[in-house]
Amino acid sequence: MLRRWLLLSVPVCVVLMSGPLLAAGDPAAGREKSQACAACHGPDGNSPAPQFPKLAGQYPDYLVHALTAYQNGERKNPMMQQMAAPLSEQDIKDLAAYYASQQGLNLRWKLK
Amino acid sequence: MGNKNLFILLGASVALLASVNVQAAGDAEAGRKKAELCAGCHGIANYRNAYPSYRVPKLGGQHAEYLIAALKAYKSGERDHPPMKGSAASLSEQDMLDIAAFLSGK
Repeated sequence: MLRRWLLLSVPVCVVLMSGPLLAAGDPAAGREKSQACAACHGPDGNSPAPQFPKLAGQYPDYLVHALTAYQNGERKNPMMQQMAAPLSEQDIKDLAAYYASQQGLNLRWKLK
Repeated sequence: MGNKNLFILLGASVALLASVNVQAAGDAEAGRKKAELCAGCHGIANYRNAYPSYRVPKLGGQHAEYLIAALKAYKSGERDHPPMKGSAASLSEQDMLDIAAFLSGK
């Protein structure tokens, strides 16, 4: 009886631990989801227009924060709030992972 | 002699008008000095403050116009972030132009 319950605990633990692992952003999925964003931010996040910030190469956790902030109104911008509204948490992570994986922004000072 | 004076007047007017643009542009070299404080958070790879927990965003190569808009928004409180508000509070319009010119460069 005890052995059966112990055996059951293995898949239960796997399921419980899989959340954080699966929840990581997928850049390939992010690329697909970024079609709407490309109009302003460019296909790879290197926005050609100076009023729309470059996203390419930005830290993914910062991008997650920004999109979430637009969603909950912490950051106010009518266009971005509209763009962020339909995104799920996974969408946000995937988009962030995609833009983070692109070449663009850098550390201006190159300090270590 | 009348034509010469007119020519001088025209030349001076053009120079004056042109100088407005020069002054309004950002000076990247001046910006480099002014941005030294910014490097403390924005210049270190993967830097996180104690709070919030997301990494301080990269600014190198960002559009100058966007950087200036962001600095103004932090200064006015339209964008709510106390560390940035503190950083932007003391910046003049020219400071912002210069810093943005520096950051947007290579």
